[in-house]
Amino acid sequence: MSPALIAALPFLGSLLPALLIRTGRSHAAISAGVISGLALLGLLLNAPAILRGEVITARFDWLPWLGLNANFMIDGLGLLFASLILGIGLLIILYARFYLSKDDPVGQFYTYLLLFQGAMVGIVLSDNILLLLIFWELTSLSSFLLIGYWKHLPEGRQGARMALTVTGLGGLSMIAGMLILGNIAGSYDISAILQSKEAIQASPYYLPALILILGGAFTKSAQFPFHFWLPHAMAAPTPVSAYLHSATMVKAGLFLMARLWPVLSGTPEWFYIVATTGLVTMLVGAKIAIFKDDLKALLAFSTVSHLGLITFLLGLGTEAGAVAAVFHIINHATFKAALFMSAGIVDHETHTRDIKRLGGLRHLMPVTFTIATVAALSMAGIPLLNGFLSKEMMLEEASHTLWAGNGWIVPALAAIAALFSATYSFRYIAHAFLGPVRDDYPHKPHDPGFGMWAAPAFLVVLVVAIGIMPMTFAGPILEAAANAVVGGGLHMHPVKLWHGFTPALWMSVFAVVGGLVVLGQHRRLEALWLATPRPEAKAVFDALVGACVRGATRFTSALHNGSMARYLLIFVLAALAAGIWAWTTGEQGPPTRAMLPITPVAAAAWVTLLVATGCVVAYHRNRLLALVLISIVGLIVSLSFVYLSAPDLALTQISVEVVTAVLMLLALNFLPKITQPETRLIKRRFDALVAVAGGLGTGLLIYALMVRDFAFPTMSEYHLANSYKLGGGTNVVNVILVDFRGYDTFGEVIVLGIAALVIFALTEALLTGASSRKLIAWRPDVARAGDKHPLMLLVATRVMMPIALMMAVFIFLRGHNLPGGGFIAGLVAAIALVMQYMASGFAWTQARQKVYYHVLIALGVLAAGITGIGALFNGLPFLTSDFGYFRIPPFEKFELATAMGFDLGVFLGVVGSVMLALGGLSRLARRAAVGDEGFHVVAEKPEAREMAGHVPREVGLAGAMLRRQRKDGSEEGI
Amino acid sequence: MELFWEIVISALMVIGGVFGLVGSYGLVKLPDPMTRLHAPTKATTVGVGSVLIASMLYFAVFRDDLSLHELMITLFLFLTAPITAHFIAKANMHRDWKAEDLPRPQGDGQWAIYEIDSDTSAEELDEAEEAES
Repeated sequence: MSPALIAALPFLGSLLPALLIRTGRSHAAISAGVISGLALLGLLLNAPAILRGEVITARFDWLPWLGLNANFMIDGLGLLFASLILGIGLLIILYARFYLSKDDPVGQFYTYLLLFQGAMVGIVLSDNILLLLIFWELTSLSSFLLIGYWKHLPEGRQGARMALTVTGLGGLSMIAGMLILGNIAGSYDISAILQSKEAIQASPYYLPALILILGGAFTKSAQFPFHFWLPHAMAAPTPVSAYLHSATMVKAGLFLMARLWPVLSGTPEWFYIVATTGLVTMLVGAKIAIFKDDLKALLAFSTVSHLGLITFLLGLGTEAGAVAAVFHIINHATFKAALFMSAGIVDHETHTRDIKRLGGLRHLMPVTFTIATVAALSMAGIPLLNGFLSKEMMLEEASHTLWAGNGWIVPALAAIAALFSATYSFRYIAHAFLGPVRDDYPHKPHDPGFGMWAAPAFLVVLVVAIGIMPMTFAGPILEAAANAVVGGGLHMHPVKLWHGFTPALWMSVFAVVGGLVVLGQHRRLEALWLATPRPEAKAVFDALVGACVRGATRFTSALHNGSMARYLLIFVLAALAAGIWAWTTGEQGPPTRAMLPITPVAAAAWVTLLVATGCVVAYHRNRLLALVLISIVGLIVSLSFVYLSAPDLALTQISVEVVTAVLMLLALNFLPKITQPETRLIKRRFDALVAVAGGLGTGLLIYALMVRDFAFPTMSEYHLANSYKLGGGTNVVNVILVDFRGYDTFGEVIVLGIAALVIFALTEALLTGASSRKLIAWRPDVARAGDKHPLMLLVATRVMMPIALMMAVFIFLRGHNLPGGGFIAGLVAAIALVMQYMASGFAWTQARQKVYYHVLIALGVLAAGITGIGALFNGLPFLTSDFGYFRIPPFEKFELATAMGFDLGVFLGVVGSVMLALGGLSRLARRAAVGDEGFHVVAEKPEAREMAGHVPREVGLAGAMLRRQRKDGSEEGI
Repeated sequence: MELFWEIVISALMVIGGVFGLVGSYGLVKLPDPMTRLHAPTKATTVGVGSVLIASMLYFAVFRDDLSLHELMITLFLFLTAPITAHFIAKANMHRDWKAEDLPRPQGDGQWAIYEIDSDTSAEELDEAEEAES
């Protein structure tokens, strides 16, 4: 089977359990098992070729210009890891079927598990470091889901978050390291990188790249000082712990170190960083594990310790060390998975994992006792079990390792770590299973069914088989994998049980005997341990995260304190600084354009503009007056567009001005009409200074730009030349909007619709709860005039409505060739409708509204989208427009363009959005005026109005209701 | 014939100009808002209207291009100018006058602007309701 398919299978299959869970938990488990089994089978089909020394590859170009190719390969190392991941995964699937209770969402579990499995297989089969990075992040994410599987447990959620934070940060560091590495090697393909050892180690960037990559590997593999997340991840269900912490997630870091071993190892930096970290982790993890009372916590720290052991072996940089590391990866996966599962069985049967509450289980759970004992003895390094062999190899390597010229420190520390390791292994057996049977277990224990102990039993059989005949059962795969780690040409000495009386053997004996002695003194040592202060990792982590959050909040609130003035200040200052910097460092040519003559009309408009702007500054505290003055500015701007031959812009500007003024009036309704000075004089002076500087800077920049020709040819030429040829329209602005940049417009229509929906949602939220009461209690700050809807205005708007709508249609239709288009037409139509709201009031108009504005927005987006998709049927890219000329008697020949459909979408979107936004704001006013509970529900939706019965009466205004009450008073009184 | 049209067009333009000038002057000269209101309404209706008709005639007679845009503009102006004036007057009454200081309107009603909660559309709703029942 192709390596790509092996990696893809778990991802593809991950949907199955989620779907099949409806037919039963067994079906979900079986489907997950079948997927894993198929992937494993596909992998093993390749095994003979790989054991012969071949490398199976599959290559797909994904984003070749980034160097990101979906290249996969299976070599010895990949085969070893993938078979561990898939094989143990299969056992976990079986185990979890019996471990998880009826109330757990099992379908989700298997889906997460398969996702995780796919990501892990992806890591070990990738032949491209960027692809590997993607899978790496996927493991962080999917393990987050798995660790936090019991969502109801706070420990589970916190543990998942901690694991994600630590491994995610490591992943970020690794991305940087990998990019440096790929840059040095000139390729992101692993097979190419592995060829350029000299170039990489000679590069000045070798050390940064090494540290960054190790940052990723150490966090993932829980190396000191990042080991703290692993024990907290134990809040996950036991199958997850068994899977993640025996064979997969934590081994990903080791895999990475092994994968890049040929190019990164062999330097003093590598040795001192990796081997030292490994040794310290091995020691620290083992020491803490001795004093953990929670079975899973004990195993978690023992995992940390064993990961340290493997890291140490890889860090040595010797071939024998690499062989030992690979061998221990196999051994650790087998006995640790079995141990986790046995701990899970104990937890499942006794309902506790606290060693202090256990003991004597060997009589009650003989099968579990046997499994756990064999696995734990292997972990302790007892002969005839596989753990002994690799630990012996480690001690052998340690015994002749010099650390800074010192020949005894490494062997001594390694022996002590082995002693600790033996201690906690013996403790696991002695304190949980040996001793007298107790009568105070939380739950009367007995051995579980076969389904639950089958998986650990199988692993224990492997432990013994490899322990007795290592070369028969693990030899070929060990050799192939180790060969891949060292980069070929490996001369492996066969792994043997008996090497004679070597230093390693004496160290082993010391460890086992010492372990028993220390266990005997456990009570006294524990008292000492409890008495000594030690940093609590979770508290430190939480404090660190808290400090980061506080820092980020402080930084954010300094920049984003919710005050528009602050944002504008930062923005203007930044723009000014950038402008000044650009102006002083760049070059500018001499002015090339002459000034146009100043006509009296232009001068008059300019003076009006200046006066109006000056008045805004002078009278801005009177908000209504400021609005009027701003409208004058808008009007002059529209006129100047006409003057400068931009009728399209003028039309747009003037309709936008109208809509804006109405919107602002609606909003002003609720605001004080006078702005009170809220800042101190000095601050206002400073703000004025910044504003003047910003305005002057912008003005000068534009002036400088306008008296010179453009440095580069502009897009306009192309648009002018091709507007008719390609877009079929002579109105270049419209053709740009609906054709050349149609995709932008499409996005803008959607954004506009979303903005309107957000305004609607916000006002909807204001209509309920506390803000609703506030609205009802709100009284206007100025006296209201009577005669809200004067007859004259009513009549005029009724007359104007058809004319205005006609105008909108006219502007819409001619848009493609003459000034106009969907956007302007939409605004004009919206204004025609807004006039009705203004003249007749919200309730009256709403009662006559037949179409729902949300629907208009949706129709608009759909119309634009469907027009765009239409081009695809023509074999052209999305949104390519087509046009033709038609003649339908008695009309003259006319043009039809598909752009019209798109423009219709724009039109509908604009009408819907504007009306929805205005409607939202005016509903607030209605709420304040009427103050009738439940009123707003009826107001907006035609269906809801019908459901509420007779609409106009329900939505009646305050006066109407008063009158009706007076009229119906007699009937209601009875 | 051309001379005749030229005279007509010129006359219209002069009328428009005069009304524009008078309207603007009135805006400055007249003493209080209510009287001042008269000036610009005249200027926009008759003043701008005459200029627009002149423009339409000019294009129809001398350019052989019958343009109806001006008629539309005139129509809109005639429709909107009174409403603008109406609203300015209402605003002025609301802000600066008291009902007692004004002459009473005909009938037994009050000035609408001083009626609390008077609402045309609410009345319409009531009518609709009555029609239903």
